[in-house]
Order: sequence, then structure tokens, then C-alpha cells
Amino acid sequence: MASATINNSAPQVQIKFLTKQEQYAVPDFPLSVHTSIVPNELNTLVNELLKESTDVKNNIEFDFLVCSQFLRTSLNEHILERNISTEEIIIVEYVEKYPPPEPQDCLIHDDWVSAVAVREKWILTGCYDNTLHIWTSKGKHHLVIPGHTSPIKAVVWISLTSDMATFVSASQDQTAIIWDWNIIKNSVDCIHVCRGHERGLEAVNVNYDKTVMATGGWDTMLKIWSTANHDENENGESASKRLKSEHGKTRIPKRTMKGHKEAISGIVWSDKTEIITSSWDHTIKIWDSELGGIKHELAGNKSFFDLDYSTLNRTVITASADRHIRLYDPRSTEGTLVKTIFTSHTQWVQSVRWSPVDENLFISGAYDNEMKLWDTRSPKAPLFDLSGHEDKVLCCNWSNPKFMVSGGADNTVRIFKSKHIVR
Amino acid sequence: MKNQRKIVKRKLNNTLTENNVKKEEPDNDPTKSIFEEESDSGAEDLLSTEVNNNDESSDEEVNENEDVPVSDTEQDQIVFESDDEENDLSFETDSNDLDENLEKKSENSDTPTTSKDNKCEKVKRNESSKTNINIKNTSDTLQSKKQNVEKSKRRDTKNNTESNINNENNDKIIADQQVDEYEYDSSDEEDIRNTVGNIPMKWYDEYDHIGYNWDGKKIIKPQKGDQLDNFLKRMEDPDFWRTIKDPQTGQDVVLSEADIDLITRIQKRKIPDVTFDEYGPWIEWFTSEVMKTPLRKFPEHKRSFLPSKPEARKISKLVHALKMGWIKSTEELKKEREQKTNEPQFYMLWQSDDQAEEMRRIHKHIPAPKRHLPGHAESYNPPPEYLFDNKELKEWNKLQTTPWKRKLHFIPQKYNSLREVPAYPKYIKERFQRCLDLYLCPRALKMRLTIEPEALVPQLPSPKDLQPFPTTMSMVFKGHADMVRSIAAEPMGQYIASGGDDMNLKIWEIATGRCIKTIPCGGIIRSVAWCPNQSLSLIAVAAEKKVLLINPGVGDHLITDKTNHLLEIIPQSDVIVSERVKTAVQWEQAEGDYWTNGIRIILNHFKIVKQVIWHGKGDYFATVMPDGQNRSVLINQLSKRRSQLPFTRSKGLIQCVLFHPIRPYLFVATQRNVRIYDLIKQEMIKKLLSNSQWISSMAIHPGGDNILVGTYDRKMLWFDLDLSTKPYQTLRLHGTGVRGVAFHKRYPLFASGADDRSLIVSHGMVYNDLLQNALIVPLKRLCNHESYNDFGILDVMFHPIQPWVFSAGADSTIRMYT
Repeated sequence: MASATINNSAPQVQIKFLTKQEQYAVPDFPLSVHTSIVPNELNTLVNELLKESTDVKNNIEFDFLVCSQFLRTSLNEHILERNISTEEIIIVEYVEKYPPPEPQDCLIHDDWVSAVAVREKWILTGCYDNTLHIWTSKGKHHLVIPGHTSPIKAVVWISLTSDMATFVSASQDQTAIIWDWNIIKNSVDCIHVCRGHERGLEAVNVNYDKTVMATGGWDTMLKIWSTANHDENENGESASKRLKSEHGKTRIPKRTMKGHKEAISGIVWSDKTEIITSSWDHTIKIWDSELGGIKHELAGNKSFFDLDYSTLNRTVITASADRHIRLYDPRSTEGTLVKTIFTSHTQWVQSVRWSPVDENLFISGAYDNEMKLWDTRSPKAPLFDLSGHEDKVLCCNWSNPKFMVSGGADNTVRIFKSKHIVR
Repeated sequence: MKNQRKIVKRKLNNTLTENNVKKEEPDNDPTKSIFEEESDSGAEDLLSTEVNNNDESSDEEVNENEDVPVSDTEQDQIVFESDDEENDLSFETDSNDLDENLEKKSENSDTPTTSKDNKCEKVKRNESSKTNINIKNTSDTLQSKKQNVEKSKRRDTKNNTESNINNENNDKIIADQQVDEYEYDSSDEEDIRNTVGNIPMKWYDEYDHIGYNWDGKKIIKPQKGDQLDNFLKRMEDPDFWRTIKDPQTGQDVVLSEADIDLITRIQKRKIPDVTFDEYGPWIEWFTSEVMKTPLRKFPEHKRSFLPSKPEARKISKLVHALKMGWIKSTEELKKEREQKTNEPQFYMLWQSDDQAEEMRRIHKHIPAPKRHLPGHAESYNPPPEYLFDNKELKEWNKLQTTPWKRKLHFIPQKYNSLREVPAYPKYIKERFQRCLDLYLCPRALKMRLTIEPEALVPQLPSPKDLQPFPTTMSMVFKGHADMVRSIAAEPMGQYIASGGDDMNLKIWEIATGRCIKTIPCGGIIRSVAWCPNQSLSLIAVAAEKKVLLINPGVGDHLITDKTNHLLEIIPQSDVIVSERVKTAVQWEQAEGDYWTNGIRIILNHFKIVKQVIWHGKGDYFATVMPDGQNRSVLINQLSKRRSQLPFTRSKGLIQCVLFHPIRPYLFVATQRNVRIYDLIKQEMIKKLLSNSQWISSMAIHPGGDNILVGTYDRKMLWFDLDLSTKPYQTLRLHGTGVRGVAFHKRYPLFASGADDRSLIVSHGMVYNDLLQNALIVPLKRLCNHESYNDFGILDVMFHPIQPWVFSAGADSTIRMYT
């Protein structure tokens, strides 16, 4: 075919193009290409075919998947690495390239930004100077919230309506505070101070129906709290009144679960009652919040710093005390097999977050000042390096599919706009 | 089919016997008596047949054997007839109409023939016999029927006793009696009433039936009476004592007289068979007489007559040896012995000397060295490059006087053909020299050891197998303005503290590298130690002449508050502090600025404090002042705010001290030696000889039996306290003086830092097995610090939990490797 004439001595392979994006479908007859073909050449080939068969006129950048992994080297090297026979027809799937995210804004803080959470257009950040900040995605600063006495390590939105919002912040001062924010008045109220941890908190997360939250920290305990605004869940009205009169806004945990040997670094709800935690003691534990026990345990060989669970593909990615990001399947029972290792960072990876809409994409922030956008099908190289930070990246967030947000030790929050393709 | 018929027939026989017996009564006296006995109760008879049913089946065989030509067919015939008879019987019993009966019988006479025909197709071999029977059947069915009835009767009678004789079949029965010795025992035949086969009957224990009948209906077990029933039965039934339960059918069986007789005979250990004559004449089946002629009758093989050839060969050898005098006959030997005893005895005085040489030449023969094979130069037509050019020739000629220095002892020469080659002039001379070589050069075996240098190096495992250990730099803690001299980690592993020449104590968060706190200490910090007691939040800092106890205020708020409260209270004690101690150290409560900075207690020493170290429990801490002479080591108790001077005499310039992790020992390192003191017994236990010039630092394995000592003369010494006072191993890994050594608390790792800026991580595995020495494998050299005033790394420390190592550098940074 088109490229067959370039080098007659090079071995030929038969490939067949396949796509799941119907607007870019090409006829699926097998083509013979030389094995040293690189993705660029394949791209021109597909574009030629598209122009022949459809009315797509402008060139489109595609990524090619062979054996469900992105083709980054020549086809020959790729298939040799995976021991694919050259005798058979190789199916080359192509998808439109993910558009490069554009840096949108840089929010400057007074101190290290160690926590960030996005909900719709609101960006909530937690700082090492013990304050919380609320920004809009346009970069407008709305509010500074002092209240904690130690650096804030995690923030999470609980609810957000047009005029009211609730969020929680976890700090090293051993408390988590549930805040109420009146958007119209732009005033914030501390509703509850969750006391119970004996050391600094590291992680907090809210379950899907936003009624319960889990916190973990350096005292190795996992504590479950109610996020309800008013303390009517237990002991009735009188007890809550008594509590209020004694401790003010203090809230005590619904349940305390012990099991980790060291600090809990990441918490994520994977189900209504299922919590997955990562810890410095080299384990990931899966808990049942209702029964209050460990359901399953995955052991790694490095301390875990963060994890995230994707409801789309039901797997867990972790950041640990090395430069690799590991993908685990929490449901697998045959040992703790790392399914994929993503390596590109040069320093500790501190934070990982799945894309909320695409089951293959996730971002990671590391101490090498880089945030990276990854595709699970490309473990050796990220899709994009989102540079910008001048110091360690401490946190990142991608709750709003439009924005990838990261906070770092250079006192800034960087917002990258992601042009999402509808597939 | 056959089996089924058999069973049916048997059933019939059982039911029929009674009636038949009654009919036959007038004919048959001997049987009658027996039958009368049996006919007391029909059931008994039935049971007796059941019990002995095995015998019955064998009876058939007897019958078969009796009339050989009609064996098969007759049996069949019987079956069919009996089938009919069942009908007959029903008729008889119901109506007793003879005519009908006869008619029926005549009909029957037809039916067997037809069935016979079918059979005849099946078995073609017995054609003749069949026809015979057919005739018989057709001619007198009635008679045969009678016979048949009698046969069945006979079976029953035989079951009980063998002595009954039938009138009609007299001769047959006699024959029967003769043969039945073999035919009687056929235990493999099953009970006809056993409908379940040969299985353990307990399988049916749980069911209320035993097997299935012809129609596939369950056969219900007979009612089992309860105990009362049993009792009543026992009381009422005269035959109770002889009633037993047949396990296979569940029926009660009343044992017959014969059975009881049998049992009693067995019990008395008599032969059960009454008829057996114990005292009969002896028949010798296998004769004991020796026969005159053997039974085997074939001629002997030829070789049994011929003499053996190998034997002859052996004998001839012996004869030859005797002739030659190699071996001696016993007589000769005897004679010789006598001669020897009579003659005077001599021996060769020097025999052993040359004998040994002879034996050596035989047993340890050393072959002559081989001559070199001729090369191309020796060829008559060598390649031109082997021929001498002028220069080579001149050189060859020059060595005329010293011919052994020549490369070749001849000049290679070229001839066109082998024919032209002249005689070799030096032939005789060279042969002679070769002989001289062989004669005169002593030959000896050269014992050569083949030891590869690699074999001398101990086998060490590959570092890959010893993971985890720190390999890469993961964090740089920047913030100090000058050299960092000392670092200490929080027991939980969340924070570290560091101090140095910039006089500030800094608290860092390990995970992020963030400096949490800076506490000015007012002096060069030479040593920092975090209190190992987790219920206290306290750091001991040696700053110039002061030792500061600082509450860093990180970690659990409750603990930090508690520590503050605890340290506010000054305990009162009546103990009078001696002047010697008082001049050495004064405790002072921090106030004002100091307090707000976190400093809680100040210990003012009289000399510069170089080291401060906590005891494992966190109450005692030791301070070292190298210039303090005989007061250079102080042991301080936090809870009582008291200090002690454990040593009265100075043993040298004390460099550092160390508490044993488990036992109450104190390790004191002077410049050259390490002394181990028992603090309770107040005596020296051991003195470790370092054999080096200047000890710099010391670390103890968490097990407490191994010490690592770093010295300024570039060595690291591993002392195994169980082995000796000399180092178990000396590691020369660093290029310059070692400044700091550290053991990991959990992993088998140790690290050392030196002025050459390198941090070396090694694997130091200590085994619980006392017989196995520690395994030491250097793993990784980490060299990231920058040099500053010829200083490199000043302190080394491991993370208390993770396999991470920290190094404090003179370049004012702390680096963490993971």
C-alpha cells in the first residue's frame, strides 16, 4: 500500500485500523506496512485514509494503541517487547489525541499549599500558614479562613448549592473542621470541630452521599464522623444540647478503626460503606465502615503517600515513597499484584487523582516540581508534563473535569484547563 | 431369567412342601417322622429352608450332576413345571377339583414344549437330550410332576438331615450322599430372601424396609417389638430360647433341632457333622514308603561325567606356581619356619633408605620432561619469515660465546627438497645433552596451589537481594545557615530535629521537608537527641556549655502540654549534691524568652558539651565533656533533676558514650578504646581494643551485642561483644575520617558518613543463632553533599521506622535518602 515502497528489505506486517470514535472510522481492510513504522507515519496514513473515505478534511492527531498500550516507539519494537507474532494481522486502534491542557491561572498564596479541592467553579485550598482560601476558577480570591492552628493537610467539599456550601478541612492540629460557607454573604462559619485524633491529620474524605466522612492521620487511627449539620444523630436532642453546652461545636467520631501501624496518608470511599486507605506502613487496607473491620489488605514495599479510586474502572492508583505510581486492583484476591507501574517522575510522587470522566486518565503531582497527565495505557511516558511549579507539588485535584489543579511548595496553585473530548 | 425362575421356584418349594408332605405321608415313613416334626409350625419349616437356602441351591446342582445328559434342560423343565404348579396349587387349594387340575396339567404339557422350543433355539448343543425330555414330558407329565414334588421335598429333608431316603429316587439319593461332600458347601449362593445383595445390612438401619420385591415395592421390615414385647415373648413362647433374628431379612428364626444339635456339637468342640467318623481307617494319600526306582527317569547330562575345564586351568596354575617356587606347600612353609627359628636373625641396616627411593620411583614415577615439538623453523623448507636475515644472523653470531641466550640454537635453512638435507651435525651432541638432562636434573613433583583470587574473597550476597535500603536522595532539608552538626528523629518518625553552627535548633517535617520550627539556642549545637520516651515531647540539645531540654511542641498536643506541666514542677530532694558535681553542672529552670521558645530546662556545664545521649527509657541522659578530665561524663536524671559523675578517674580523652539498649551498661569511648561499664555493679566489664588512633563515634545494634565504632583514621570497626575484645571486622570504606555511624532500629542496615562527603549504607545482619557471625555487606555509596572547609558529613541517622537514612552535612543541608 502507501508505505510499502519505502523499504523493500524491511519486514512487513499486516495491520488493521480500528477505532471507537465513529466519526473517524476507516474501512477495515488489512494494510501491509513495514515494521519500523512510527506513530507519525501511521497518523499520516490514517489521515490519508480518512480523506479518501470520509469528509474529514483537516488533519487530526491520533494516538495508536497496539495491544491496548500506546504505541510510543516503532511498531517493531513495540510488538517485539510484547512478543506478538508478526504473522497475524495486528489490530491498531487509534484514538484522537488528548488535547494538551493549557495553563490557565496561578493563584498565589502566602505559604505552601498542601491541600486543594475543586467543586464546580470553586477552588478550596489549604495552606501551611493554617488558613483556608476560596478562589474561583477564574482566579478571583474570595475568602481567607483562619481557624486552624497548624498546617492544613487535606480539604474536601461536602455540599455545594448556589448559595450555601459545606466543606471540611483536616489539619495537623489534630482536628478536622466542618465549615459552612454562605456564598451570597461570603461569610464562613465553623460548624463542627471534629476532635479525637491524637496526632496530626493527613487525610479526609467524604462518602458519595456526603453523610459520612473518614479521617486518618499520624495516630494511625481511621475515624468515621457524621457530616450532618446538626448533632441529632445520636442520643437525641438533649444529649446534643449537653454536648454543645460542654464542648461547643466539638464533634466526636462515630467510629474509630484501628489497624494501620503507621500514619494513614490517603483515604478514599470506594463504595457506600467501603473505605480504602493507604498508609506509611506499606499497606493499603480496605475497610467496611459499617461493620468496622478490615475487609482486605494489599501490601506494598514502600510507604504510600496517596491513593485514589476510580469508580469508572474500579482500580486504585497509589503514590509511594519512590518515583513510581502503581495501579492496583483492590478486588483481586490472588496476592497483591501491581497491575501497572507508571514511571516518569524523578522524585517522590505526592499526590494522584483519577479523571472524573475518563477511565484511563489521571494526574500526578511529585516533588520534582511537575504535575503529569497520564493514560493508563501508556505506563512508560505520561501524556503531558504540566510544568509550572517552581517547587514541590504537594497536592493535585481533578474533581471538575475541566480543571486540573495543583498546589505546591512554591506557594502557588496552578490551574490547567483540560479540553475534554467527548468520546 | 434363570435366576428369577430359580427364586420363584424356591419360594414355591417352600410353600409347597407342607402340602406335598401330607400327601406323601402314607408312602414315606422315614420322611414322615421328620416332616411331622417340622410341620409343627409352617413358619419353622419355612425358616429352616431360609436358613439353609444355600444348601438348597446346591441341591439343584446336584440334580444337574445326577442326570448329566438332561442337566440344563431338566432344570428348566422343573422351573416351568413349578411355575405351573403354582397355578395348580392355587387351584387345588381353592377348589380341589382334580379334573380341572388334570386339564390344567395337560395344558401344561403343551406349554413346556413351546417354551422348550424357545430354549432349544438358545441352546442348540443339547438337541438330542431335549427331544428326549420332550418325549418324557409329553408322555407322563403327571409322573414327572410327582417326581418333581418329591425332589423338592427331598431338598428340604436334606437340609435338616441327610439320612432321609426317598422311595422312588432311592438310587439317586445314594448317589447324592456320595457326592454331596463337594456339593454341599456353596456359600456363595445368597439367601433368596435377601433382596438387597451382598451389602452390610446396617445400611438399611435407618429405613423401615429391606430391599424391594418383584414389583419394585419396598419390603417392609417386620415389626420389632419393644422390650415389653420381648419380655412377654420370652415368658410365653416356649421356643423363645431358640429364636434368633436373621440380620439379612429381619425375620425371627426358630432354630431347628438339627441346628441346635449342630451348635451344641460346636460348643462341645466336637466335629459338627454327626455322620463323620472320627475313628475311621486312615487313608494314606501320600505314601511314606520310599520307592526303589525314582519317579524321575532321564539320563544324567554328559557334562556331569567330564572334569571341569576352568578347574583344571586353576589347578595347572597352582602346580606351575608350586614348581616355580612362587608358592610353597604347607610342608615347605613349615620347614622354612623351623629353619628360621633355628638360624640367627640378621637384618639390613640401611635397607629402608634405598628401598624407599626404589619405591618412590615405582609409585611416584615422574615422567621425563617432553622435548619440544619441532616448529616451522626446524622445517627443511621453512617459510621465508623464519629464515634469518642479516641482522638476525649477526645477532645470532654475536651470541657465540653465550649460546644459551640465543632464541634458536640453530640457523633455519631452506632446501628445495628433503633429499638435499644433509646429516644433522649436532645430532650426537644433542642426544648426549638430553641424556645428561635426564640423568642429572633431579625431578620432583611440584605442588602447585591453584587458588583464584576470587576464592579468597568471602561470598557476599548481591545487594539486590538485600533490599530495602536507601538508594536515592529524596529530600534536601535546606534552612540552616551553617554546618549541621547533629540530627535526631522523633520516635514516631514524623519529624526530625537538627542543630549546628548557626546556633539554631530546627524541627523538620520529614514527609515534606518543611521546617516547622526554629529555636535559637545561643551556642554552637554539637549534639541533639530526641527523648525516646513517647509520652514525653522533649529534645536534649548540647549548645556550647549548656544542655537544653526543649519541648518542640510537635506531635500530640496532650503530650506536649503534659510535658510542659511536668517540667514546670521542680522536684524537691534532700540529697546533698556533692561539690564535685555541683561545680560540674547546675540545673536551671528556663524562664522568659527561653520558656516561650520551648526551652524548659537548662543544664549549665563547666566545659563544652560535645555529646548528649538518652537512655532507652527516656529518664536518664548522659552528657560528655571531653575536656572535663575526670569529670567528663555526667549522667543526669530528668525526673529528679539530679546529676551523677560515674567516674572518678580519667582514663583518657572521652569521645562519646552510649547506653546499652537493654542492659544497664554504659559504653565509654576514649580516643583508642571502648570501655563497657555495668552501671549497677559499678565495675568495668570489658575493654574493646580498637587499634586505631582516634575514635569519633559509636553506634550500637538494637540487639545490644554488636557495636560499630567509627574512627578518624578512616576505619569502621564492628565489634561483636560475644566474640572478643578485638574488632570482628574492620571496614575501610571511607577515604577520610568517619564522622558518624548509625544502626537502623528495625532493618539490618547501618550507615556511616565521613569527611569525604560520602554516606555509605551497608547491610549488617545479626543472626539470633550465636554460631553464625554477623553478615556485613556494603551496599551503596551516596555522595550528594558538598564539601565545606574539608568537612563532609557530620552526622548520620536512620529513620526510626522506614528504611531511610539522613545525613547532616557541613554544607548546611540535611539530606534524606530512600
